[in-house]
Amino acid sequence: MDFDIPSPGELERLEANEEEDDYLYFEEAPYPYPIDGDEENEEEKEPSFRQSESPDINGCKRPRSLLSDPIINLDEVSPASEKRSKIDDNRVEMEDEDWLRFSPVKEAVRVMEEEEEVVPQETILSRYASEIDGECFPITAPDGGERVYAKFCRALGDEEVKKLDMKAKSNGLIKDPISVLLQQSEKEAFNKVLQASSEDQNETITAETPIMHEKLWVDKYSPSSFTELLSDEQTNREVLLWLKQWDASVFGSEIRSTTDEVLSALKRHSTTTHRQKSDSAFTRKNHLNRWTKESSTYPKNSEVSNSNTTDNHDSWNKKSKLIGPPEQKILLLCGAPGLGKTTLAHVAAKHCGYRVVEINASDERSAAAIETRILDVVQMNSVTADSRPKCLVIDEIDGALGDGKGAVDVILKMVLAERKHATGKENIDNGKTSSKKERKTAPLSRPVICICNDLYAPALRPLRQIAKVHIFVQPTVSRVVNRLKYICNMEGMTTRSFGLSALADYTECDIRSCLNTLQFLNKKNETLNVIDIGSQVVGQKDMSKSLFDIWKEIFNKRKMKRERSTDPSGSEAKKFDFLHSLVSSRGDYDLIFDGIHENILKLQYHDPVMDKTISCLDCLGTSDLLHRYIMRTQQMPLYVYFPSLVIPIHRRVAQIQRPTIEWPKSYHRCRTLLLEKQEFLRSWHHKIPPYIGRHLSVKSFVEDFVSPLLHVLSPPNLRPVASHLLSDGQKNQLAGLVMLMCSYSVTYKNVKPDPALSNLRENAASDASVLALDPHLFDFISFKGRQLKHHVLTVAMKQVLVHEVEKQKILQASGGRSGILNKPEIKKTNQDFARKTTSAPNESRRNPFTSKPPSVSVEKVTISKPISSDVKKASRTALSFFDRFRKSRKDYEDPEDVQKRATAKRDSRPLLFKFNEGFTNAVKRPVRMREFLL
Amino acid sequence: MLWVDKYRPKSLDKVIVHEDIAQNLKKLVTEQDCPHLLFYGPSGSGKKTLIMALLKQIYGASAEKVKVENRAWKVDAGSRTLDLEVTTLSSTNHVELTPSDAGFQDRYIVQEIIKEMAKNRPIDTKGKKGYKVLVLNEVDKLSREAQHSLRRTMEKYSSSCRLILCCNSSSKVTEAIKSRCLNVRINAPSKEEIVKVLEFIAKKESLQLPHNFAARIAEKSNRSLRRAILSLETCRVQNYPFTDNQVISPMDWEEYVAEVAADIMKEQSPKSLFQVRGKVYELLVNCIPPEVILKRLLHELLKKLDSELKLEVCHWAAYYEHRMRLGQKAIFHIEAFVAKFMSIYKNFLIAAFG
Repeated sequence: MDFDIPSPGELERLEANEEEDDYLYFEEAPYPYPIDGDEENEEEKEPSFRQSESPDINGCKRPRSLLSDPIINLDEVSPASEKRSKIDDNRVEMEDEDWLRFSPVKEAVRVMEEEEEVVPQETILSRYASEIDGECFPITAPDGGERVYAKFCRALGDEEVKKLDMKAKSNGLIKDPISVLLQQSEKEAFNKVLQASSEDQNETITAETPIMHEKLWVDKYSPSSFTELLSDEQTNREVLLWLKQWDASVFGSEIRSTTDEVLSALKRHSTTTHRQKSDSAFTRKNHLNRWTKESSTYPKNSEVSNSNTTDNHDSWNKKSKLIGPPEQKILLLCGAPGLGKTTLAHVAAKHCGYRVVEINASDERSAAAIETRILDVVQMNSVTADSRPKCLVIDEIDGALGDGKGAVDVILKMVLAERKHATGKENIDNGKTSSKKERKTAPLSRPVICICNDLYAPALRPLRQIAKVHIFVQPTVSRVVNRLKYICNMEGMTTRSFGLSALADYTECDIRSCLNTLQFLNKKNETLNVIDIGSQVVGQKDMSKSLFDIWKEIFNKRKMKRERSTDPSGSEAKKFDFLHSLVSSRGDYDLIFDGIHENILKLQYHDPVMDKTISCLDCLGTSDLLHRYIMRTQQMPLYVYFPSLVIPIHRRVAQIQRPTIEWPKSYHRCRTLLLEKQEFLRSWHHKIPPYIGRHLSVKSFVEDFVSPLLHVLSPPNLRPVASHLLSDGQKNQLAGLVMLMCSYSVTYKNVKPDPALSNLRENAASDASVLALDPHLFDFISFKGRQLKHHVLTVAMKQVLVHEVEKQKILQASGGRSGILNKPEIKKTNQDFARKTTSAPNESRRNPFTSKPPSVSVEKVTISKPISSDVKKASRTALSFFDRFRKSRKDYEDPEDVQKRATAKRDSRPLLFKFNEGFTNAVKRPVRMREFLL
Repeated sequence: MLWVDKYRPKSLDKVIVHEDIAQNLKKLVTEQDCPHLLFYGPSGSGKKTLIMALLKQIYGASAEKVKVENRAWKVDAGSRTLDLEVTTLSSTNHVELTPSDAGFQDRYIVQEIIKEMAKNRPIDTKGKKGYKVLVLNEVDKLSREAQHSLRRTMEKYSSSCRLILCCNSSSKVTEAIKSRCLNVRINAPSKEEIVKVLEFIAKKESLQLPHNFAARIAEKSNRSLRRAILSLETCRVQNYPFTDNQVISPMDWEEYVAEVAADIMKEQSPKSLFQVRGKVYELLVNCIPPEVILKRLLHELLKKLDSELKLEVCHWAAYYEHRMRLGQKAIFHIEAFVAKFMSIYKNFLIAAFG
């Protein structure tokens, strides 16, 4: 079996592989990777052989392992197969590398056992072709130019190929087959042992280590599989479950009932993963058995997630029944930076067999650009080899507000479109062929994961409602420390868990910053110093806390955990620094001080003679002065002095008990109300005729005008009776009041009673609408908690007034702007008009609008000289325009008759004229109409 | 029409209160070309009335025909253009406006708009005076920059334009402007003058006004003629014939401030300060200027205060008013004053009564 003659094709392929291996070996930097010391015996080889060792392994190890334990070593067989994964390659190479690096070691017993299985060595690599029996081919080392001959080994039988296929197609929850995972964990455990044993030999390694640090630890140790995730287990599983719910629509399979079982297994696995020793062959076998069982029970399912077969959709859509995607189509992950959101999204998506397409803040995120990308992801299938369905990950969606919004909008649109077309949902195949017009409302048929830091960013508000939201919580310190310790071990850095936990605490479990810090320290060959972690470590985040947290910090005196009694001044200084940096990193000083002002008086501090209050308010005042000064002179550098103003306030009023803090609303409420009222006054001011209004400014109005005006407007001795019952004095008073209201353009108006104000106004009865002053001047004298002392007119009186004011207004409008007061003038003009109407009746008929009102006003002025002599009648004539019109029509009897008379008149006077109101620059001179006629 | 408007003297001859000033102004206008004028004095003393009468003296009745215009101006301010809306009151010969309405952009109004207006000579100069008049209200509220840009305008266009400035306090007008103007101080009318005016009005309205009552109104009016006449009318509406001890209804906001003062005297603690804050907010919302509130509050507090504290309290009131004018958020400073007062008062109480 080992020495099958390979077919020419296979041979070629093998050759290619091997050469590739060679290149990989030479190009890649020595790689600190879990090492497997299976073949220490190779150490004895001559140094000159080093460069060409990989062919050696490939040649020799394979047959050996196949012989000994075909199942366990499946992966090692893989180089020859089509599905060989790269990881395996790497690992093999690494193995080689590692035996080189380590001088002969005393190995664990287990290793020795495995060694026993090795078959007697056979020469497979030699400088001379004659030393090799069987087929051989030359290999030239690229750098040295040395040439050796390698023996050809045929490693694979047909059964193996079959098995491999099955393995590759397995649809476990885990991307890698269980056997591989087991082996990995084994190696990890082994590594630890190795590390421990070889710690004293660090000197030998140092020569090579510098090159190893090219890569950031963060990337190097980022979790590559689901079980390595550090984030909260619950969240991980829910994300995975959500992704799995897509399987039905994306892959066409149902969610397997074993999910829970697998998940729980996973959980068990992941929690123990660091400590697990790959001790028993028994468990391995057990797992394997289960795996084989699974793969036989669900052969079809396992095929589904086989991402490498391009035509799986077709076969699958035929067979499986379709189940829709999950209820919420968007997953929104949020949490502080460095908790592993992005990693989780990537790992989970990869795990479920998706290809991750990431859009992050560095990409263009205008709505148009993002839409095409999303549509690409959602609808297209790549024609290249990697045709796994895609999963869209939109990172930092809350990032730039304006841009992020574009993305949110597009997604929202798609989701909403989906809801509309909920019935006619298309599956993937139809989606692919969907026509252009459907593109607009393309449904979302692939999972979309959005990642944000601030869940409550305004741009995300709509998204929050439709998405499934997961909030990341900090992983426990112990978990982080465990992982850090593991990594430090891997890197050969000596740390103490106390220091690590302090570091994790300091960075608020941001593993990214922990790792960066550690790497930095490692590079500097320093050890983690617990005491001055703050000064030593650069990696403190520029954390801007929420305003509420800041206010809380200011008002709250913290109980010192470890009272460092040695230097109270030191802790004071620390507190100072802390508050200072807290406030200055937030910025937004104006709001901070507003908040302090809002809440400070509600605190329970002991202040018998108000000294503390005074100094706090003085600080606030100073901040205000400073703010104004900066605004005026634009000296922005002065802003640095704001944070220090907070500290005396803190020193004065901070209390142990937690304050209840409110958002500062009252100042802004006051401001907006003030502006509103000022605007309101201004608009009223415009309505007042200028000869009165010009003497009123807002200040003088509120200061000494409103109250008397309102008193005058509501005289207590005016009775709402019919006007002819009033005495002369009262009539005059009423007339004066009406004039007053007109000249200040005040009137009463029906308004809906404002429930908040209704208790202020006595007249606010329960009826739907209430007569109130039109510019609501009472607003300006009403103060909370104070009864108005103004006399308020009865409703009937108000109605009378409304009536009169309306009438007066019409009078004014008709009597020309100049006003009603100078009656002789009006009379004169009216006489003119009257003459005109008589002389040219057809004109008056054509233009009742221009000619009628004056005639009415004549009547008015004469009739109501003591104005309110007969309110009823006046109103009947004046109020309704149509009334007037009808009445005036009556004067003309029959229209035909009028027509006749008009024509007769026109014939008698051979002149037609039309009066046009208007304006001209020409020389004006009063002319009588008859002068034209004669 | 209210009596305030009805009996407002329309010409310089009919002026009762500041008769001497009116006569001087008349002489100034009739005999020679008048200079720029700066009227200053407390509110309710008759500045505006005098200005109107003066305009009538210069231009005759046409000065009384005014129209309100709301005009939008586009002003080029360096790189950008500003849209400013200015409300003007204008007759053929004069324009009246309040440049401080534009807030911090008042500079542009002065630089561009006023200059533009000043440049244009009135078109029909036949027979009439060859200049137009710009009346600027509330000059003291103009920013320093605006005032600086105003002074060049005053010089450059003095041939075609006269400025009449009107303000409450001349101390906020820069020296440069003051020296370019003829300063006319209109002081608040004395009580006797107020009584005289009230009796004049009563005669015109044919009312019986007891002298004592008129004196009481004058007393209550804070020497503001406007307020005196208004309260007279209020009293007339509420109760006529007048009696000597009739109630003169006070201003609502002043009563409210008195309430606040009573609160302060009653309890001195952060809690009561918090209640005071709510009331001060109420006052501010009703458009009452913060400095007026502070002044009135001090007035009310001094009424009830032991005389040995008065000096100190006044000092602190001045101190906080100064800060208030430098700052933006009046409430901070009013509150600080109240806190200061509470502290002083409480210390005093403790010292006095143990």
